[in-house]
Amino acid sequence: MVGYLNLILRLGIWFLLTADLSLANILIGIFVALILPQSYKNKGALKDWLKALSETLIAIPQAYMEALEIIIRPHNYEAIIMEQVRPNRTPGLIFLDIFVITFTPKTIVLKYHEKGQYEVHHVQRRKKS
Amino acid sequence: MNIIFMNVILIAMILALLIPIVEVCKDNNVWQKMLALSSISSKTTMMIFIVSVLRDDWMIGVVAVIILSVGNAGFMLMAHIMKRMRNA
Amino acid sequence: MEQYQYIVDILSYVCIGIGIFFWFWGTSHLTKNRSVLFKLHSLSVADTLGSMAIVFGLLLKIPSEWPLLILAIISLAIWNTMLGYVLAYCSSTRGDHD
Repeated sequence: MVGYLNLILRLGIWFLLTADLSLANILIGIFVALILPQSYKNKGALKDWLKALSETLIAIPQAYMEALEIIIRPHNYEAIIMEQVRPNRTPGLIFLDIFVITFTPKTIVLKYHEKGQYEVHHVQRRKKS
Repeated sequence: MNIIFMNVILIAMILALLIPIVEVCKDNNVWQKMLALSSISSKTTMMIFIVSVLRDDWMIGVVAVIILSVGNAGFMLMAHIMKRMRNA
Repeated sequence: MEQYQYIVDILSYVCIGIGIFFWFWGTSHLTKNRSVLFKLHSLSVADTLGSMAIVFGLLLKIPSEWPLLILAIISLAIWNTMLGYVLAYCSSTRGDHD
């Protein structure tokens, strides 16, 4: 099932790039999407992928909210917090997690430790001891 | 009317672009410079977009999208190389 | 139809205006004397979210070119975020290989 998701993603980018829905272009797009290499091991569950994708969509309005918060009330203090990675994450899902955390303006992932922790940099309004 | 608005937007963008340019010249720390340069690159891309709307020429817009993706990839490579050089 | 066009026009200018405001706010932090990471937070407001607002405004203005503009929004979000992560990672770690 995740393979289909992958295929849809590639086809979507292809059609956005070419902006052409003729039969020949659709066939070329499907051919290119199938011929590109993909990894067969360790794909992760479909449910996890759908959840991660919906989190990515939610992250967009959330990012604007956080931006407004930072603008209206200055956040002047910085802190580094370790966060636990959820269990059973494949590399693709970890990439999406890091993307979501870094996309929102209050938090940036500094480093991903192999043992299963993110080092996240926050801006805060008050100093936390 | 439209043209006037677009020109005002373009002038505001040029003013915003001046801030990181001054910053690049002023700062001595390499990473602060990289930050300002990356800011310049994405701002210039947006300006190219506005110009392509102004001129109604979408080939310019395609160039902007290419710069957006390739330029940032170059920056990432450069950051990694600089990290390696410092560690070596 | 006519007055809808009017509303959409105003909305697109509002989006572009918000984007340019984000640009000025985020970039003004560059001149201050703060750490690289703190500036990175405000630059992610300016360069990612502000530019996305501007492109969205253009999308409302010229819907006929939506494939290119949506591609621009996607690549803006992904590349700028990844650049932020890479800059944070490379500028902060000292001396340890992984």
